[in-house]
Amino acid sequence: MKRLLRVALGILTAIGGFVDIGDLVTNAVVGSRFGLSLVWVVALGVLGICLFANMSGRVAAASGRATFEVIRERLGARAGLANLAASFLINLMTVTAEIGGVALALQLASSVYYLLWIPVAALAVWLVVWRVRFSIMENVTGLLGLTLVIFAVALFLLKPDWGSLAGQLTPAVPEQETVWTYSYYAIALFGAAMTPYEVFFFSSGAVEEGWTVKDLLQERINVLVGFPLGGLLSVSIAACAAVVLLPAGISVTSLSQVILPVAEGAGKIGLALVLLGIVAATFGAALETTLSSGYTLAQFFGWSWGKFRRPAEAARFHLSMIVCLLAGIAVLATGVDPVLVTEYSVVFSAIALPLTYLPILIVANDPQYMREHVNGRVVNALGMVYLVIILVASIAAIPLMIVTGAGA
Amino acid sequence: MLANPAPGPAGRSTHPGRTNVGALAPAASALLGVALLTGCSSGITESVSTAVKDSSSAVATARIALRQDMAGKLTRAATSTTLDDGLKELQSSRSTVLKLSPVTTVDRGTQRQALDALDQCAAGFATARAALAAGDGGTPSLADGDKALADAQDVLKQLESTVASP
Repeated sequence: MKRLLRVALGILTAIGGFVDIGDLVTNAVVGSRFGLSLVWVVALGVLGICLFANMSGRVAAASGRATFEVIRERLGARAGLANLAASFLINLMTVTAEIGGVALALQLASSVYYLLWIPVAALAVWLVVWRVRFSIMENVTGLLGLTLVIFAVALFLLKPDWGSLAGQLTPAVPEQETVWTYSYYAIALFGAAMTPYEVFFFSSGAVEEGWTVKDLLQERINVLVGFPLGGLLSVSIAACAAVVLLPAGISVTSLSQVILPVAEGAGKIGLALVLLGIVAATFGAALETTLSSGYTLAQFFGWSWGKFRRPAEAARFHLSMIVCLLAGIAVLATGVDPVLVTEYSVVFSAIALPLTYLPILIVANDPQYMREHVNGRVVNALGMVYLVIILVASIAAIPLMIVTGAGA
Repeated sequence: MLANPAPGPAGRSTHPGRTNVGALAPAASALLGVALLTGCSSGITESVSTAVKDSSSAVATARIALRQDMAGKLTRAATSTTLDDGLKELQSSRSTVLKLSPVTTVDRGTQRQALDALDQCAAGFATARAALAAGDGGTPSLADGDKALADAQDVLKQLESTVASP
């Protein structure tokens, strides 16, 4: 019974923790401009993150090493450092976007200007990272993030024309868009679903919680059930936007537009739940990205790391996270739009994805690390297909960003 | 920007069957000039068109927020934030149009029309925000705000069709 509860909790937190500011914004933007014609990318991204998280979790459980320890070992110091620089900068961009997301959601709840909420949000992130146990932190934010299910509920309450909505599922470029913007947002959605920090956090979390190969079954269930259900949440965000915003000619550019379909369908109760969900999801992701910044640096440079250690025993790990939070505050204090930072962060995530995906794919096939837990044939075949997809997305992202003026 | 190059020697092609490039230079310059002018013109039209679309989206968002507020579906804080975001979007579009440098009279007219329409939208937003600040039963009412935004939306629609048709 206890084991069953653990599995259920793992699945629920995986669902609630799946959506972050990148998913919220990108799915709403896509839904308001392309309807449901890009849902296939969400499916592709969810399958990809299941594969990637499953491999990195298995590597962590079987070898006891987290992602960046493995990357440094396999790529060597120089190539590993280039990899670290790119991954760290994109992670920092995501930290900034998530803190901005928390502040924007709090503005929607209070009408106090978001810039005033930024130091509060960053301080709260630091306090939780400093004081709260890993499992509590993960479970509370994940469970509260589940309130985002209100997007799916609101979709039903909106009573859409299901036939017409299903008709939008066919991949096609809408009349008012170009094939270039369609492709650009396909990459953005892919990047939002397959964010590298999720994998850093997942594999480092496996070490934090002391996973062994005995925990692999639960890890698989969490990933293979929780992430696809989280993906359905993403689709419901896009569907809500497609039902309410697209017919009104609204292209999403702010978080305040994302919540309107929920208020339309579910009123003030829906609004309260969606705001709670957005704060929980972005705050949870801010914690994960902040920790991921510390994890990547500490694992690469061989510093002592982990929340399972007292802060004094992992001083550089904690200090690096404080510096990241301060950098995020500094960027947001310039007045840059957090939604814009989010839009760029998901595309850059797609660009940097091969840097972390390839080493994990290699190590997951290495019997020296994995012993009998190396990738099976099916996983390897899928892994190779995804390597090609990830490379194509990574190479095409910048030219498409230039051609489309970042999807304008 | 569109100065013609100095006329070179007429020259005669020494290779039968090939085009006399020198003789075509003035025509090519003229064509280039027309292309550049058209390019500039279409650039202005495109910028105005984008600004109008973005503003139209902001106004439509504000109207949905007001309607939801009137129906008791949205809190004042959320409505106020939505209006602020819409106004920011509108200001950004206005700034883009204001910074354009039209060359032809037609383009100057388009820019003027766009600025007038965007000013009307800004006035609509001002009414809506004043209505929100006035609270229930105050003047102007939320319905007045919605009406002002609806009028601005009509003007934007007209401008959109004018800009779309050459």
